[in-house]
Amino acid sequence: MSYNVLIVDDSRSMRKVMLKTLQISGFLLGECLEASNGLEALEILEGKWIDLILADVHMPVMDGIGFIKCLRDKDICRDTPVVFVTTEANEDRLNQLMNLGASGYIRKPFRPEEIRALLCRIMGETDGFRTGTTVETCDF
Amino acid sequence: MVFEREQLLKHVISDVLETMFFSMVEFGECGQGDQCFDYGSEIHLLTHSGRTAISLRVSEEFARMITANFLGVEENQVNDDDMEDSLKELANMVAGGYHARVKEAGWRLGIPRVWKIGPESMDAAQRAAELGFAFLGEPAGSAVVDYLPA
Repeated sequence: MSYNVLIVDDSRSMRKVMLKTLQISGFLLGECLEASNGLEALEILEGKWIDLILADVHMPVMDGIGFIKCLRDKDICRDTPVVFVTTEANEDRLNQLMNLGASGYIRKPFRPEEIRALLCRIMGETDGFRTGTTVETCDF
Repeated sequence: MVFEREQLLKHVISDVLETMFFSMVEFGECGQGDQCFDYGSEIHLLTHSGRTAISLRVSEEFARMITANFLGVEENQVNDDDMEDSLKELANMVAGGYHARVKEAGWRLGIPRVWKIGPESMDAAQRAAELGFAFLGEPAGSAVVDYLPA
């Protein structure tokens, strides 16, 4: 089984890096969709099944906090894990994201191993990843 | 630049460049203020009491190389938009890392901006305060952090 992932980040480069990180981490990637802010992500979620959302916090139009608030208020993708990948270091804001239902967060800069470890915890080692794979090469 | 801020900035820049851009830089004993660089990027950390501005300047050659590393492509595949986007991410990560280590509460990150610069873009005093860094012995860029009271 593979998983559909939605990457939400206003930086096109960062979206590319996130995709490559998932690919080299051994994640069982199905379709990968991209949005440049929370509002675009909500539009995608209306018409597409998504198994995992990776989102930035600081974005124009609708930021990460507004996005997860909308998801929870409108009861969209209730059981879909939302992981924030962010430069945010403010503990209060990170706690706010967790209280709003985020499954976890990773601080940038990150290593592929960190993404893998967090996603293993959230998605399950045997469910979310190819058996026996490790992050051996990090050359994006 | 105050010694502690300079050490912190060095640490954060090294961490970000090595982790996400696969590039190791060496810092000079003093700023390379008379060096002309091609791109500037800046981001503000905003608090109630004022702003901390983190500015980076890099050569086009270095910007192209780190962008290629970041995206996992060849340097000849990198265009201006890619470089701008990557330099914004660099500023964003440096600022986030800087403030994570300062551990001051109640702040937020501003929006990073990137621009093409010329030698006339910065005054002599500001240049003198810069922290220069090199890649493989060649000047690659410089950084400065400034506190601007409200």
